[in-house]
Amino acid sequence: MPDTPIHPSGRALRVGVCGPVGTGKSSLIALVCAQLAASLQIAVVTNDIYTDEDARFLRSAGVLDPERIRAVETGACPHTAIRDDITANLLAVEELEEDFAPLDLVLVESGGDNLTATFSPALVDTQIFLIDVAGGGDVARKGGPGITRADLLVVNKTDLAPHVGVDAEQMVADAGAVRDGRPVIALSRQDAASVAALTDWLLGQLAVHRAGTLVPADPGPMAAHFHADGTAHAHDGAHDDHVHA
Amino acid sequence: MTSPDLLLMLLADARLPTAGHTQSAQLEPAVASGLAAADVPAFVSLRLATVTRVEAATAVVALHHLRHGLALDAVELAWAARTPSAAMRATSRTMGRALLRLASRLWPDHRGIASLRRGASRAVVLAAAADAAGLDAAALARLVGYDDVQTVGAAALKLLPLDPAKVAGWVLAALPAVDRLAADVAPLTTPGDIPAAGAPRIEAWAESHATTTRRLFSA
Ligand SMILES: Nc1nc2c(ncn2[C@@H]2O[C@H](COP(=O)(O)OP(=O)(O)O)[C@@H](O)[C@H]2O)c(=O)[nH]1
Ligand SMILES: [Mg+2]
Repeated sequence: MPDTPIHPSGRALRVGVCGPVGTGKSSLIALVCAQLAASLQIAVVTNDIYTDEDARFLRSAGVLDPERIRAVETGACPHTAIRDDITANLLAVEELEEDFAPLDLVLVESGGDNLTATFSPALVDTQIFLIDVAGGGDVARKGGPGITRADLLVVNKTDLAPHVGVDAEQMVADAGAVRDGRPVIALSRQDAASVAALTDWLLGQLAVHRAGTLVPADPGPMAAHFHADGTAHAHDGAHDDHVHA
Repeated sequence: MTSPDLLLMLLADARLPTAGHTQSAQLEPAVASGLAAADVPAFVSLRLATVTRVEAATAVVALHHLRHGLALDAVELAWAARTPSAAMRATSRTMGRALLRLASRLWPDHRGIASLRRGASRAVVLAAAADAAGLDAAALARLVGYDDVQTVGAAALKLLPLDPAKVAGWVLAALPAVDRLAADVAPLTTPGDIPAAGAPRIEAWAESHATTTRRLFSA
């Protein structure tokens, strides 16, 4: 994309994809590659906990040059590798950016630890958190830093909602309620309109990144929560001077 | 002026962001091929006598070269010649890169650190960090030995069901061997002095681990 303006630093947009195991992170990345690889230069880093299954799945999906997909081992510390000591991931991202320069987009899949794992803003510029309807309708309401404050929340596999007795619309509405206006996309790979909404969001983030105005935000470690008096706030640790029952 | 003790503690701290949590010092493939918890102290001793000795000696010789304005190429070559496993060389260079990334942020004006190129071994990068921190050769050698023992210990806790106090006891028991190693290699100054002490079993484990599709640790 030589004629599009690039980020002042000249590097790719780094997008984190996190959420519990099985919610569809690898599938979402394959979907994005299938949609955008013809128009954007893309690379992927996976953080597998015990196998290189994710990297192999993506390579075999045939949506990206296998060389552009690299796995990072996390020594059984998937949380650490995306939040506190992000070095191994940064090296993988930087190597891909060098080997395939100029890249537009690097997607980083987390090890899918649990509901509380989110990316450090020092590793990714923006992040997507995934939950799925099969995980139960109340997951969105329960919240967690990723659900409440990731840049984008995806409620995945909406095609399964009738089979698992979940009201997908209600789930999206619940998620919207705890997210304070941040975007939510109800996604199914079988629903082209939802896939387009996802790629539109990504392209929007890329445009902001290239303009140099994307400010990475940390969704964690604490989720915003509600008080009986109707006020809501998040604990960032700075001026947390009241007591919770 | 910060005391050398504190700077040594800083460099020895596993909480430093240098991807240390991705490393098992070949303990993972060793366990996969049958090494039991009771064998871990012997595994530690074997490393201290062989691969870790090479790394510590390389670091010490590199430190001497940095402090005397000598080129590091011959040191890198000597290290590579004594590290026959390609997987272990690759791991060392990756860890060197991780450490260099941090060191150039901590000591942005240090000439030795700035002079290092991509592909520098971890021992050489550690020597540059030790130079910036003002550590002496013996302290640097102890750092290499100590870090290796702790890497094995931390990985053992992930790979084998163990009482953590027992592992801490193994580390304590290995410290005299670390001291002896440091005393042996601290006076070295030339690349030819670096001992060629290989451990074929460890090297074979490193090679097999590099191609397995099931692993927790990168090496
Ligand atoms: N029905 C349905 N299944 C999906 C969808 N997206 C992913 N899956 C399935 O969910 C399972 C887990 O997906 P995967 O991408 O491996 O999840 P990850 O562990 O989060 O990376 C796989 O069997 C996928 O085929 C979707 O939109 N609809
Ligand atoms: Mg996956």
